[in-house]
Amino acid sequence: MTNIAGKRAPLVWAMHVAVFLLVVIWLVPTVGLFVSSFRDRDQITVSGWWEAPFAVENSGYGRTDADAALREGDIWVIEGNILDSAGAEGQFGADADVRLVAFGTSLRRPSEFPAGEVASTEDGERFRVEADGTYRVELPEDPGDRAPRIYFTAQTPPSFTLQNYGTVLTAAGMDRAFLNTLTVAIPSTVIPILVAAYAAYAIAWMDFRFRNLILAAIVGALVVPHQLALVPLLRLHQAVGIGQSFLGIWLAHSGFGLALAIYLLRNYMAGLPRDIIESAKVDGASDFQIFRRIVLPLSFPALAAFSIFQFLWTYNDLLVAKVFLPSNETSRVMTVKIADDLLGSRGGDWGILASAAFVSIAVPLVVFFTMQKYLVRGLLAGSVK
Amino acid sequence: MPPVLQGLLTIAVGVGGCIGYFYLANFIVDAVIFPAKGRNANANLRRADAVRPWLFLFPALFLLVLYTWYPVVGSFIRSLYDRAGDDFVGLSNYAAMWREGGQRAFLNNMAWVVIVPAMSTFIGLIAAQLTDKIGWGNFAKSLIFMPMAVSFVSASLIWKFVYANDPDIGIINAVRYALGADSTVDPLQIPIWNNFFLMVILIWIQTGFAMVILSAALRSVPEETVEAAIIDGANPFQIFFRIQVPQIMSTILVVWTTITVLVLKVFDIVYTMTGGNFDTEILPSFMMDFMFRDDGRATAVAFVIMVAVVPVMWWNIRQARSEKR
Amino acid sequence: MRSHLAASVAALGLFAGAAHAQDLKFPIGEGPFSWDSYTEFADAHDYSGETVSITGPWTGPRAAQFEAAIAYFEEATGASVNYSGSDSFEQDIVISVEANSAPNIGVFEQPGLVADLAARGQIAALDTETADWLSENYASGDSWVGLSSFAGAEGDKQLFAFPYNIDLKSLVWYSPLAFEDGGYEIPETMEELKALTAQIAEDGGTPWCIALGSGAATGWPGTDWIEDLLLRTAEPEIYDQWVTHEIAFDHPDVIAAFEEFDWFLKDEYLNGGRSNSATADFRDSGAGLFAVPPECYMLKQGTFMPSFFPEGTEVGPDASFFYFPSYAEKDLGDPVLGAGSLFAVTEDSEATRGFIEFLKTPIAHEAWMAQSGFLTPYGAANAEVFPSDADRELNEILTDATVFRFDGSDLMPGEIGAGAFWTGMVDFMTGDDAESVASDIEDRWSSID
Repeated sequence: MTNIAGKRAPLVWAMHVAVFLLVVIWLVPTVGLFVSSFRDRDQITVSGWWEAPFAVENSGYGRTDADAALREGDIWVIEGNILDSAGAEGQFGADADVRLVAFGTSLRRPSEFPAGEVASTEDGERFRVEADGTYRVELPEDPGDRAPRIYFTAQTPPSFTLQNYGTVLTAAGMDRAFLNTLTVAIPSTVIPILVAAYAAYAIAWMDFRFRNLILAAIVGALVVPHQLALVPLLRLHQAVGIGQSFLGIWLAHSGFGLALAIYLLRNYMAGLPRDIIESAKVDGASDFQIFRRIVLPLSFPALAAFSIFQFLWTYNDLLVAKVFLPSNETSRVMTVKIADDLLGSRGGDWGILASAAFVSIAVPLVVFFTMQKYLVRGLLAGSVK
Repeated sequence: MPPVLQGLLTIAVGVGGCIGYFYLANFIVDAVIFPAKGRNANANLRRADAVRPWLFLFPALFLLVLYTWYPVVGSFIRSLYDRAGDDFVGLSNYAAMWREGGQRAFLNNMAWVVIVPAMSTFIGLIAAQLTDKIGWGNFAKSLIFMPMAVSFVSASLIWKFVYANDPDIGIINAVRYALGADSTVDPLQIPIWNNFFLMVILIWIQTGFAMVILSAALRSVPEETVEAAIIDGANPFQIFFRIQVPQIMSTILVVWTTITVLVLKVFDIVYTMTGGNFDTEILPSFMMDFMFRDDGRATAVAFVIMVAVVPVMWWNIRQARSEKR
Repeated sequence: MRSHLAASVAALGLFAGAAHAQDLKFPIGEGPFSWDSYTEFADAHDYSGETVSITGPWTGPRAAQFEAAIAYFEEATGASVNYSGSDSFEQDIVISVEANSAPNIGVFEQPGLVADLAARGQIAALDTETADWLSENYASGDSWVGLSSFAGAEGDKQLFAFPYNIDLKSLVWYSPLAFEDGGYEIPETMEELKALTAQIAEDGGTPWCIALGSGAATGWPGTDWIEDLLLRTAEPEIYDQWVTHEIAFDHPDVIAAFEEFDWFLKDEYLNGGRSNSATADFRDSGAGLFAVPPECYMLKQGTFMPSFFPEGTEVGPDASFFYFPSYAEKDLGDPVLGAGSLFAVTEDSEATRGFIEFLKTPIAHEAWMAQSGFLTPYGAANAEVFPSDADRELNEILTDATVFRFDGSDLMPGEIGAGAFWTGMVDFMTGDDAESVASDIEDRWSSID
């Protein structure tokens, strides 16, 4: 098949370009998130993440130092460095490598004059501000304690920081949410496997009445929306005393995942070579032994595939966690934490949001890239006939 | 007891309980109730074999019925009662829900159901075909497949960096500015289109799934059919659409229906991106508006979703039956 | 930071993460606080080893302030208090009450929701001494008791909640620096406010930051505008009838208030235009006042807003407020719109009752007053602890209010006041006309009555 394309060089090029574009489109949003998670809050708000390697322009202001006013002839002169003034220092940091590009005398126009030029106001004040922040202001009158302000636009070099991750993992409470997510996902993955494996074996290799009916019920259950379960099952949990709790969500996830587990495992087990199982039967092995000694070990790929699936699903779930877990800090999982707390309380704090999202997708990405082989195999067992 | 410990304990109890159950049940059947010895040895062996499948099935069936099939009935019954659950009101919850925004949610949902599977499958098919033919195809595949691992909530956050109504955050507005626009637009507020922008997120997630499966299916197409077509002078496009695609039609349908079912469940994207505002409500998010405030209506919405799934369910069951074993 | 990390590591190692003692924000015994009330309370109550769980709508800095205030309860009694805030508190609390996993105390901003739960018997009533205490110690105490009393499961009216942390809504925040730079005066009447709005726009500035975004509660900041404007264009009785649905939601007077709001919603008056206002998060909107150049000059929002101003912004020199004025041409007085948080017991315990008792001590109020964005009608709380004159002035507006009305959307049933009204405001912001928005909400309301 490659040979036909090989004969048409332009087509090959077109394919490379098309795939490249597709990959770029698929990656760009995630890269944006990743880059933003390492950027300073001040920088995120003024330049896009695609401009992260470049200096950003921020505007600020400071008040000139009235105490430094000196009389020269009939004018008063103040000299100093505007970046050292209280207001500006807070915003730009005392020793950052900041360069002024422009300044102004009004709050509305912080970049009216290029740095190094002289600006005169209607009141006869003259300002000169250099790129390094030093200024010389000439005033017609004694400023008293009302020294004029200088507004300016400054370039700050790009800065990257781990601060966002620090905040997210400590102050924002994602550490707790992370533990909670694992606490939900791991038992919800492990519990249904064994239950499903026995059932799958029974459906694949044992003869009994209603087998087709049960298989149909399982295939049907694959598509039943979880939404249906929310109201009746929470009431049921409440009635039996489980209520909203980790135990409740483990049961719910296990119940919801069971149909897929049985279906995947049954498809895989049904494909195992018949003679192995039959010769074992001839040798007098019971179903119980066959299952334990032959079928279960052979089904490892399918078990792994289901585990990955179920783990990703339960780890990433929002709906079930919102309903079956109490919504307090001690049991909130990461998806709920992000959707109901961080998105609101840190709505404009993109760096925090980005790093929170990244913390939450780190584990699935690792699982995904290390276990991709099994996942693909499982998907194929489930859907390709 | 901290939840982590509780979790480990539950795993231990769960797994241990299962093993114990299966082992004990087997033992009791084999050794106590129907011992394979004495006068009735043969009959007992037969009876034990008749009972054993049910031993294997029982825990799974119990959970399955409780967590999947009981809610279907339970929700439907609940949807016939009023908000407090005391009075039987017939179908009036459905009527009220339909009047007050349900219609919009239903129509939007139908758009999702048509567009998301179609686009995911189509792009996935193209991607599968292209990546199969180039050297770094597998690498490209895993990158396109990657969003599958990401939660819908995180995916929404990722896409906020595309849609944000701010040229320094959102790529769309940045591009508009680069092209000379002087005001921002909020893509999530443009009527009708905003639904499509939300769908893009799910398409982004699901395309990888479609690609992986279709790629395997394409590889299983017999070489001879393709070679015969080449000899006949067919061009690559004809080979792809006339020869290969028809042969993997059944797989395409499986992919399509799988994504369709998923679309009907996803509420996270709408919940985090627009909260259902700007006419982007879909049934699953619409249901959350009523959840536990008015369970009658919430279950009515859920049941409408169920009804929408029934055709897919019926088709799936038929497929499964026709395969036999 | 480190202790937090250590706690997580401990939890990973399968040990219970012991609640670590929180540093007290204001050292006991220092400053003008009513430490006597603290000692007295500490001597009388000991709940060592017990836990009180509280959930409420405060997240981010507001949650941190509340936690700093309840640290005194923990210190005094030895109990530990777990507070969790959620943007979807209104939904979550109903679910958890249904599931019997309710926290000990829910912090409700919607009396309507308390009424719902109380009627279903899911909230424990407070004793009559508490009701008496409120009417004696809170300014206009009887009205607070009235607001917090509902019919219980048996139909008898009882006190079900304790109001703590009051917000004034009728405020406009601004940056004195920006006003000085532009040469603008504080408007005394609505007519002047409108003239100022037009003036700023004419000078090339953007007058308003209006932001409706608030996660799952998106839309509510708009409801405050409608209510404040309704109180300024119609008799207070109309307002009362409107919130209790004695008149239709789409009554002509209400439509008129929507139209008034519409006057402010011109694209050139709003930072980012109307579409940005519909989604921008209200918590970030304050930053626009202090940007260089200013992104906007005025922001109408309640007393708590300074919590969300950029770090280091001081109320007084950097940020100030004026009363959202009334029309000179209309003779309706100077009405004040407010809101408050109601603490209701959703899962009873001895320590929980103790916490309610704690709210009666002046120190419980002062511990939050001394931070920011907290007002109280409790006269015994020492106004000296307010961090600024601005806060004291705000509190005086509250204690002196003649026409005081509670936030209407909080009084309406949850589905309206915390649902249809919110989404209606978003629809209105994005261009739907007043009649259709109001009549949609009216349809929804009449269908649940």
